[in-house]
Amino acid sequence: MRTGDGPVRDEERGTRELPAEGTGGSRRVGDAVDGPDGIDGIPEQARPHPQEDSVELGFLDGGQRDREGSVQSTPLDGRNGVTPVRAEARARRRATGGTMSEHERNAEGDGQGTQSVQQATPHNAQDRSGARAMFIELRELKDGSAEYADLRNKLVRMHLPLVEHLARRFRNRGEPLDDLTQVATIGLIKSVDRFDPERGVEFSTYATPTVVGEIKRHFRDKGWAVRVPRRLQELRLALTTATAELSQQHGRSPTVHELAEKLAISEEEVLEGLESANAYSTLSLDVPDTDDESPAVADTLGAEDEALEGVEYRESLKPLLEDLPPREKRILLLRFFGNMTQSQIAQEVGISQMHVSRLLARTLAQLREKLLVEE
Amino acid sequence: MSQIAGEPATQDFVEVRLPAAGAYLSVLRTATAGLAARLDFTLDEIEDLRIAVDEACAILLQQAVPGSVLSCVFRLVDDSLEVTVSAPTTDGHAPARDTFAWTVLSALAGKVSSAVDEDKTVSISLYKQRGAGPGPA
Repeated sequence: MRTGDGPVRDEERGTRELPAEGTGGSRRVGDAVDGPDGIDGIPEQARPHPQEDSVELGFLDGGQRDREGSVQSTPLDGRNGVTPVRAEARARRRATGGTMSEHERNAEGDGQGTQSVQQATPHNAQDRSGARAMFIELRELKDGSAEYADLRNKLVRMHLPLVEHLARRFRNRGEPLDDLTQVATIGLIKSVDRFDPERGVEFSTYATPTVVGEIKRHFRDKGWAVRVPRRLQELRLALTTATAELSQQHGRSPTVHELAEKLAISEEEVLEGLESANAYSTLSLDVPDTDDESPAVADTLGAEDEALEGVEYRESLKPLLEDLPPREKRILLLRFFGNMTQSQIAQEVGISQMHVSRLLARTLAQLREKLLVEE
Repeated sequence: MSQIAGEPATQDFVEVRLPAAGAYLSVLRTATAGLAARLDFTLDEIEDLRIAVDEACAILLQQAVPGSVLSCVFRLVDDSLEVTVSAPTTDGHAPARDTFAWTVLSALAGKVSSAVDEDKTVSISLYKQRGAGPGPA
């Protein structure tokens, strides 16, 4: 199943590229852009398995199309009839036709910039020298110009399969594949920006470590629920490997001392590493502490705020206070917020203390009455 | 670590006392694991001990007097670690031996025993054999 996927995929790409040979010109660029889109259409299980070494090697080089070109010719020569696989591939091509023509239109609309690329690259834009020529072209263009952005996008899209392949090598490790692909694409963009074609190395040679590095960094930065220093993260990996190895050797799990000896570090460091592993994933606060009956941590935190009851009174009292006549309001304010005695208020307002007392009593009675009615 | 008075041989023990409430068990679990790791138990044995101590405490807490103190004593006997957890209880029942919890306990620790004092203090003792032989001390 796994090994079978490789040729199927190559053949599929081959059938798509065949018409491109005839049309030439901008059509080729359209195809180059279309590559990743077509691959997106392939269901997950039909893709070559990343763990398969032979496929992996072939596909790593697959960023440049030379190799695939030679692969594709073999099955095509052997089978002239329409096999189900090819029929399916054609159907898919028809299905992705819409996006394809859209890219074509884009390619056509590029005008002079695209044309000059075509003239500069007599080969298929997707083979090694084509990619190289595009990079040289990219370096010559002015940074920030529309042509630069366009060519840069083209180069990035062209190498998306490499990115998807590298991202797939890291799937089933607890991070969604889509996230990995995104992170890996960032790595690809970085390497497109930094690649120096004068150095004489292939772009994929340069891009692969950058992309893988970006994925690994994602695991380091985002994989851990609680971030621990890189030293400890790597120590944990080393411990996991050493534990597996020692368990195999002794037929039982290793002790801290044995681990320390094996990794040539102190026992304290081993303990530190083992403890840091706890930070990889965290438990929800709603998980019961010991067994199902015991309360969750979240339930034991916090308490009812006693001042909460006062909120309702305060809020319903507010409009009533606003409605009071200015003098009564002032007396209330001086009495309860200014903490003044009735005689002091009397002096302040210029009325007798008796009057203050009566006014206060009446205001309070009114407020209480209204408050009760409102409820 | 302190020496036990009246013991003929020098023997060290570690005692951890905590409120008899489930919320504090994580402290004991961590202490157990840390101690076992330094006594050169294997990683699997450390995990076993951690769960066993937790399970033993859970059995005790079911009938422990609210607000009392749970005590856990670790003692190294020959090549095995003896862990005794005890707490004053309301009923003074010895833990039933036909329960799931007890089965788990004996599977994890190897040898388990329980005792009830006159003052209704129930204690459970676990003996965990060291698998890898004596460590570097």
